[in-house]
Amino acid sequence: MITKFQVAYKNLLRKKIRSLLTLIGIALSAWVLVSLLGFNHGFETALNRDIDNMGFQMMIMAKGCPYEAATMMLKGGTGLKYLPESIGDAVRKEPDVEQITPMLMQAVFDPNKGENGGIAAYLGVEPISYGAMKTFLKFRQGGWFKQGDAYEAVMGYEAAELEQREVGDMILIPEKNVELKVVGILSRTGTQDDGTIFVPLRTLQKIFGKNDKLTTIGIKVRKDADSSRVETKFYELPDVQVVSLAQVKQTILSLVSTAKVLVLSIAIIAIIIAMVGVINTILMSVHERFQEIGIMKTIGAMPGDIFQLVWIETLLLCATGGVLGVALSLALSRVTEVVIRNVLPYSPKGGLVLIDLNLVLFTLCAISVIGLLSGLYPAWQAGRIRPLEAIRSGVNE
Amino acid sequence: MRRGKIPFYAALAAFLLIMGLSSGPAWSAVGCDLNDPDRDVKRLFPGSTGYTAVTLEMKKMGGNKIAAQIEAKLRDKLHGLYETIDVPYTMYVIYANKKKIGYIHGVNQKGRYGGIQIFLVLDLDERIKKFYIQKMSGEYAGKFRDEEFAKQFIGLTLADFEQYDVLSSKGTGKVPEISNPAPEAALDFRYILRGTKKNLLFVNEFLRLSLELSPKKGASAK
Repeated sequence: MITKFQVAYKNLLRKKIRSLLTLIGIALSAWVLVSLLGFNHGFETALNRDIDNMGFQMMIMAKGCPYEAATMMLKGGTGLKYLPESIGDAVRKEPDVEQITPMLMQAVFDPNKGENGGIAAYLGVEPISYGAMKTFLKFRQGGWFKQGDAYEAVMGYEAAELEQREVGDMILIPEKNVELKVVGILSRTGTQDDGTIFVPLRTLQKIFGKNDKLTTIGIKVRKDADSSRVETKFYELPDVQVVSLAQVKQTILSLVSTAKVLVLSIAIIAIIIAMVGVINTILMSVHERFQEIGIMKTIGAMPGDIFQLVWIETLLLCATGGVLGVALSLALSRVTEVVIRNVLPYSPKGGLVLIDLNLVLFTLCAISVIGLLSGLYPAWQAGRIRPLEAIRSGVNE
Repeated sequence: MRRGKIPFYAALAAFLLIMGLSSGPAWSAVGCDLNDPDRDVKRLFPGSTGYTAVTLEMKKMGGNKIAAQIEAKLRDKLHGLYETIDVPYTMYVIYANKKKIGYIHGVNQKGRYGGIQIFLVLDLDERIKKFYIQKMSGEYAGKFRDEEFAKQFIGLTLADFEQYDVLSSKGTGKVPEISNPAPEAALDFRYILRGTKKNLLFVNEFLRLSLELSPKKGASAK
């Protein structure tokens, strides 16, 4: 026996082009919806990952001290100010602090860099705490220094490439004429670590005569911590400045939410257009089958049967369109990502459009529910067709 | 009829797959550029009025085949992590009143304590007009960057380096006569000569292979 689904399917196949165009409309709407929600989810995840990858969300340094290599270069390697190492203990006592890593940045003038000389910078770190905080650092060759006071160096990818260094090669600190053995070369990270030469903290303190001195303390706060409160607390420490990435994250998120409202409006418009398309298609189909529906009623079909038949047609169209749209968004997620990256002023690394099973199921349900709502009026119209009127309309023609 | 649809779906699937899988991040190797080309070109090539910078890569000009040719002429392997075929080289083509008058080309060469950036200023016959080490690390770097040392390279061509062995530092002709200003840094001296020969070889190969850079005398800048 032929089922209502089979009848509905055959009805849709009668007007292939019209059904196909409606299907495309629904698929495009589903694509926009999935991509938008996937972007929303992916962007926040990527942003959080980026912030986590930076290892520390906060940095403490002496007031007026440059905290980036680039700033220090601009100042000609001068202007460094120091914190006593003991300040690390005070920071560690704060309950919201998960981890800290002490750092010492030093720079020397190298007269043999370019026409007028240049600055060579070194970052003293503790391999255990720095490595634990920046878990994304991977080694292309070798590994971290084995001892905290070894005369060794780990080079960022670009620093190693520029200096043509491999594990086992030597580097020389200009002015100090101290040799360091390269024990590790990092893979490219896309961060400023790529251009950094890492030296054990104790070794660098010794070479530059800065025992018990630090330039920066990197701080990772607990995920549920109130960053503003922690920041305020650190300002109570004497002569320090606090640089917090939490503020940067908040600013970026507010900018993104403004953009999201705009894109969400476009998605809603797309869905409304698709709904109108579905209503139009099904209504036209009902009007074309006016007589046919009348005959069906004459031979025993109840209004509920006709209503169901038309509703199933709508559901078939929307469900198929939804599946196509989801498939399209999955296949084109990388392209969507490239487009978003070109449009957004800032975008974090990694996948920007994250489409998971929950999102796929949500979209399919949403599109089906929208389809069912769109089909209500045409189905109701079809259900209330009077058989005699329908047959008579055919006779008059 | 059903059969006829398969290629369309296959093509669609392939298209979507390619679009989906493409666009990964692309990192390139570090090349060797002048720090401040506008200033450096004027200083290195007096009389020049302009230049164009052309980026060249072995990968795009024959790949491993070119690398093998250079290795054969250098009589040493292009080894390490950094002498790879994807390293971009910048050729500065120098003009005087729209007339091409020479080239400036640099290479990175591994040194004892760091990379050595060796630039050669060449005339249209690929003869060294000026020798310039832009960057070098080490206690004796200053001596190798000194004008007196650089003067020894003026007038040399690839032909002069052909009889020089970069591994044994021996050979005949003018190159073995170049004196080392810092005998304590013999290794760096050997690396500098290797880098110079490598540089001349790259220029020669690039000029031979690149139609745009074909060293026809009298060609004018566009």
